Amino acid sequence: MAAGHNRATAPGPNRSLARSRPRYGEAAIKVLLLAAALVSIATTLGIVAALLEPTIEFFSEVSFGEFFGSTSWGPLFSPPAFGVWPIIVATLEITLIAVIVAIPLGLAAAIYLSEYATTRVRKIFKPVLEVLAGIPTVVFGFFAFSFVTPLLQDILPFTLDPRNALSAGLLVGVMIIPIVASLSEDAMSAVPRSLREGSFALGASKMTTSVSVVLPAAFSGIVAAIILAISRAAGETMIVAIAAGFKSIFTFNPGSEMATMAAFIASAGSGDAPVGSIAYKTIFAVGSLLFIMTFAMNWFSARMVKKYREVYE
Amino acid sequence: MTQPNVTLRGPEVPNTPGSLDPVFTVEDLSVFYGDYEAVRNVDMMIGRREITAMIGPSGCGKSTVLRCFNRMNDLIPGAHIKGKILYHEEDLYGDHVDPIEVRRRIGMVFQKPNPFPKSIYDNVAYGPRVNGMKKNMDTVVEEALNKAALWDEVKDKLKQNALSLSGGQQQRLCIARAIAVKPEVILMDEPCSALDPIATTKIEDLMQELRQEYTILIVTHNMQQAARVSDRTAFFTADVDSAGVRHGRLVEFDQTTRIFTKPSDKRTEDYITGRFG
Ligand SMILES: Nc1ncnc2c1ncn2[C@@H]1O[C@H](COP(=O)(O)OP(=O)(O)OP(=O)(O)O)[C@@H](O)[C@H]1O
Ligand SMILES: [Mg+2]
Repeated sequence: MAAGHNRATAPGPNRSLARSRPRYGEAAIKVLLLAAALVSIATTLGIVAALLEPTIEFFSEVSFGEFFGSTSWGPLFSPPAFGVWPIIVATLEITLIAVIVAIPLGLAAAIYLSEYATTRVRKIFKPVLEVLAGIPTVVFGFFAFSFVTPLLQDILPFTLDPRNALSAGLLVGVMIIPIVASLSEDAMSAVPRSLREGSFALGASKMTTSVSVVLPAAFSGIVAAIILAISRAAGETMIVAIAAGFKSIFTFNPGSEMATMAAFIASAGSGDAPVGSIAYKTIFAVGSLLFIMTFAMNWFSARMVKKYREVYE
Repeated sequence: MTQPNVTLRGPEVPNTPGSLDPVFTVEDLSVFYGDYEAVRNVDMMIGRREITAMIGPSGCGKSTVLRCFNRMNDLIPGAHIKGKILYHEEDLYGDHVDPIEVRRRIGMVFQKPNPFPKSIYDNVAYGPRVNGMKKNMDTVVEEALNKAALWDEVKDKLKQNALSLSGGQQQRLCIARAIAVKPEVILMDEPCSALDPIATTKIEDLMQELRQEYTILIVTHNMQQAARVSDRTAFFTADVDSAGVRHGRLVEFDQTTRIFTKPSDKRTEDYITGRFG
């Protein structure tokens, strides 16, 4: 200890630049962090590998033409039907309804929190928003089924099935609002104050400044937030299973019952499809398709963000 | 366009306040951040089509006072003033006054260039668009960039992002952006402090040009700059009161030539000769 102290304070060229003692802690931390990173990569690769084999087997029995070329879905029926469009349409439709709800409300909440709210209000609101994100989705599902659907049946001029895409989509939308709002707010708060001042100094109002300066400057963060929210919506299972049902009907009518891809996987997966059966393999084929769809969307939007950036940065 | 003649200008401006054509008249202005009185009892006048420099040690309230002229301090919670600022006889802080309207007449350029992350064109067009102007935008943009002595450098890349410009170009773009709204006054808070000497010279030359049409207030830490460009100079400093709290105040306000040759206050003299601050 004393020697080390002397060396540290020794002035002049005699003091060595070599590391005085090895930093084992640093090395250990580095290994741990690497391991943590590897776990998530390995899990993803594992999922892809697990999906791949049964999917390939599935397509050796069911042709691409039948899978993508017909509109009747019922792998568990006899005779089984493997036209995947009904559950794709249901997934897209419910996701679309959810996004229509969540983007305006989420962005409005983000603009309010980042540009209008006082520090005190923000300190209360943000945690509340994050609690909303923590509500189990089964609660949203039952709320949609037992409260929202009856309400909509009373006020809407067209008929709604007891289980329907509309109320499922609405509640999936509510579920993803906190994701959009919270992440967008982070992105908007990170926009430097000097940009806002520049806008105000030109006689812009708060609303104009928020929409014309802060939003575009936070664009890539906001897109990332929306993409994450859409991915969550497309994969949401509990709400759609309870509120939209399991019946695969090829329809665009939001008042109709419909099963999404996630709902199909949940129902078939929790049923008694024997391992190795065609019904079992179908689960993996649909899983692969959902994975590819989400992945493609992420990739596409990452490219879009990049393109937009080239113009604006 | 007449050639600005720096050496002749000082004596031309008579020192009697009566001959100064005031755009602003500041009467007993004190500025508060919450309970803290950052600046007290400022009295001064800003002459039309003159360049007025504000100098003084750091923290004496130059920016604070400057930001009162376009009501920029309104954006800071708790900030308020006592006293009066008259803008052409109209009380700038009167109940009927809309701060947004104020900022359309009184533009501002900041210490750090702060172009929006948009194209050069859209940066200049932003102010006019916000003000509801739609027609002849190309002409407006070209004119503003011309006045800011930037047109020749950017005319071939108007669609490029403003952040791709150099710091000095960015600052001139910010000046163009302010000019495009056709303000009467331009406030500048240390506009050259982030720039190299060549870019600084360009901005100073530009200010001499702009002086033909606009009233300019500039905060600067650069004594030579104040001496070079301004017609009048206000020297601020900070006093510590009996409770130990610092308050900024205006020490001396006079023609620049006078402030720099025979200041009437000892503190001004100490500051400009570098013995203080
Ligand atoms: N937003 C604010 N909230 C509270 N106090 C502030 C705020 N802005 C400035 N002040 C205080 O007001 C006083 C004057 O600050 P101001 O920025 O006007 O000084 P300045 O003369 O411009 O200094 P500099 O030359 O360093 O820019 C300082 O004591 C500062 O701490
Ligand atoms: Mg300042």
